[in-house]
Amino acid sequence: MAETFVPDPSERINKRIPMPYAAQLPDIIKRNYGKWVDRKFHGNGIIEHISESGESIFTVKVGLPPNSRISVDTLKKIIDVADTYGLKVVRATRGMNVEFITDSLDKAKKIVDIMKGYGFPAGGWGNSLWHITSCTAYLTCSTFAVDAPSITKALYDYFMPYFTGEEKLPSKLDIFVSGCTNICAGTLAGDIVVVGHWGQAPTPDPEKIKFCLPTSAEALKKVTPDVAAVCPVNAIKLYAKEDGSVGIEVDDKRCIACGRCKNVCDYFDWDPDKVGVAVFVGGKTSNTGSGPRLAYRIVPWVPVNPPEYREIVAVVRKIVDVWKKNAESGERIGDTIDRIGLEEFMRQVGVPKSRHNACIEVSWNFGVRQFIKYV
Amino acid sequence: MTISDIKEQKLSEDDMKALEKLEKGPWPSHVTELKKTKYPIEYYAWGVMHKYSPWYSGSFRVRYVFSGILARRSRDGKVSEVHFRTYSPAGRFLSTAYLKKIAYVAEQYGIGLLEFAGNTGSIVINIQPDKADQAIDIIRNVMGSDVGGSGDTFREFYACPGPALCEFALYDTLAAMDFYRSHPEIYKFFNTQLFPYKIKVKFSGCPFDCAGANARSDFTFIGTWVGAPEVDQEKLREMIKSGKVDPKELVKRCPSGAISWDDDRQQLKIDGDKCLKAMNCIKMAFPAIKPGKNRKIALLVGSHAQAHYGPRLSWGVALLDDYKEALPFILKVIDIYSNNAPRRHRLADLILRRGFRLISEAAKETLPDKPKATPSSHLRFTTGAVLSDDERVAYTEWAKSLVKEYYGGEQ
Ligand code: SF4
Ligand code: SF4
Ligand code: SF4
Repeated sequence: MAETFVPDPSERINKRIPMPYAAQLPDIIKRNYGKWVDRKFHGNGIIEHISESGESIFTVKVGLPPNSRISVDTLKKIIDVADTYGLKVVRATRGMNVEFITDSLDKAKKIVDIMKGYGFPAGGWGNSLWHITSCTAYLTCSTFAVDAPSITKALYDYFMPYFTGEEKLPSKLDIFVSGCTNICAGTLAGDIVVVGHWGQAPTPDPEKIKFCLPTSAEALKKVTPDVAAVCPVNAIKLYAKEDGSVGIEVDDKRCIACGRCKNVCDYFDWDPDKVGVAVFVGGKTSNTGSGPRLAYRIVPWVPVNPPEYREIVAVVRKIVDVWKKNAESGERIGDTIDRIGLEEFMRQVGVPKSRHNACIEVSWNFGVRQFIKYV
Repeated sequence: MTISDIKEQKLSEDDMKALEKLEKGPWPSHVTELKKTKYPIEYYAWGVMHKYSPWYSGSFRVRYVFSGILARRSRDGKVSEVHFRTYSPAGRFLSTAYLKKIAYVAEQYGIGLLEFAGNTGSIVINIQPDKADQAIDIIRNVMGSDVGGSGDTFREFYACPGPALCEFALYDTLAAMDFYRSHPEIYKFFNTQLFPYKIKVKFSGCPFDCAGANARSDFTFIGTWVGAPEVDQEKLREMIKSGKVDPKELVKRCPSGAISWDDDRQQLKIDGDKCLKAMNCIKMAFPAIKPGKNRKIALLVGSHAQAHYGPRLSWGVALLDDYKEALPFILKVIDIYSNNAPRRHRLADLILRRGFRLISEAAKETLPDKPKATPSSHLRFTTGAVLSDDERVAYTEWAKSLVKEYYGGEQ
């Protein structure tokens, strides 16, 4: 594969249309495309899909390290297993795990065993923990509050039996961990969503903030620089200093620690001991039960103590325990909360109430429900 | 620890030792993976233990390539980190032939590390900065993909596996994603930086919404139907007889109150006017109960996790018969968005500032004959919070009490 290209650099302006999906589908899927009529679960990590043609395929879900960070070494193992026991194709899942695809139950079980031998568990379907999705945070990100991959590792280490199916849950459970309020783990509409935040207003770095400001205060008359314009509550004030340069002030009474200013400027600081995570509970995108909704901020702040993050793991455990105790079978956390009431759920979790978690229960009608009465 | 300690970024053996804890425990460890690569792990160790990212954003560029390249430099200025987002095929079915090419790029041009299932939909490959130019050429000419999907442009589209793997799919999500991604009128925006902020497009085959499209796409496609689910009474009776399905549960668990069970005639009735397409019955009694035959695609707009006014779910727009029908609407809305939204505002921010009328008028014009939605009202959400010292103490004490409950007395 050692090809060398010496194109004229300006050729690089010619972008490529991403490849069509059909190019990588195995024949058996092409033959049965759109013809699947039934499914069977074989344990927690294997699903059989049955086509009207009578053919079956088996998908095996295998857990990957937090943030699906893998070395080429591990990638090659995955390729090997897929070549030997699978249909030479895998799927990257929405929840940052990998799905192998094969054509017999024996091969599927073989895949489970081999991957287990490499230290990668199979599971994550049915009434279980489907995934803990993590953003990249400190691995490659410069906008951040806490490190999501290591928090995810701590959570997965405890919750792994819920993934493999050794421990049962009332229903499906999706967990998301984001290093900051940008929520790059994807969504606030998850069953449990852990979001890092500063817990305080940002402090401009006295030396370096100037890189995010116009050099002369004259410029302020024309346009508000990004660093102040992005603040949704106008907490950032820019002013002309006596020497004609630009001064900056953050009003910590107004600031909601949303992190938008940090998105456009690296040079804000904070006290790491005031940084924490908020835990949102009861969201989902599926239309089952009471439909899609964002999660409630039940816990506004939990301290962050690496590398074990015991406080965070304990809080998430508590939430899952309260759900397990109250749920009727098949109920996602949000549906359990709806039935027993948010107040009662929070009472059982035992979290102190403050102005930050005075959750208001409201009715909503999201997703495809917005179309119902017009049809 | 003070902020000035942090700024110095003194790497230490202690941090590396502490990081070893993240290699223990039963779940596969990212630290173990990182150690098999050329990733500067000491910097990550320093970050984790100081609760501070080791990275500043960098200013690395490859000429003529405007999206998909992200760069960082360490706080001490000694190390740089570059990674590419690469487009994946719809549904993210990846052949081993393709994965071998990715392994090749990651080894020869990268540091042997990737983010396999990136959250935007892409595969992320960490790249050696001095080989970045050639890496682009190889990704295009050998891998057959491209870099892109960062900044103020289209992010990687995302589709659930739909008809390729799922019996619930109500339209072809993969073909729909390909249609939009490769349509010249859409494709022309790829890898440019012309929008006020990012635009995401996601496709889910049915109301289960496995793509999370309801919560994270400026343009949302979700398969649905009109009327009641389809019931095969014969098959249902069989499933009831064999104990797989309890008709009383079906009635009870339907959130729409649309189901009734006639015990004498052993028949299930579903009121199509009431049915909210919640899928509860279908999940419990598939394939005896299936989505209805009158299939539609719901088009919605404006959801995201991060924007000026906080997270939102999608607003309903119109019911389509074919995914292609949305093209004129999307182009029109992109135009409105580009001309009216301030920088770093998402489509939803524009809707919140100017009213949903902006969207409904575009829909009236571009989708005149399609049934329209009644959009839900939205609550305002904030994700961060500024805590007082008292509040911080209260939450710390509570968390500590839970640690005691679960881990025992010693801390
Ligand atoms: S959520 Fe925050 S920390 Fe995580 S990748 Fe996004 S910006 Fe970075
Ligand atoms: S964190 Fe948000 S609210 Fe606070 S100053 Fe920055 S942009 Fe404004
Ligand atoms: S959204 Fe529906 S069609 Fe798509 S994978 Fe999920 S259940 Fe299947």
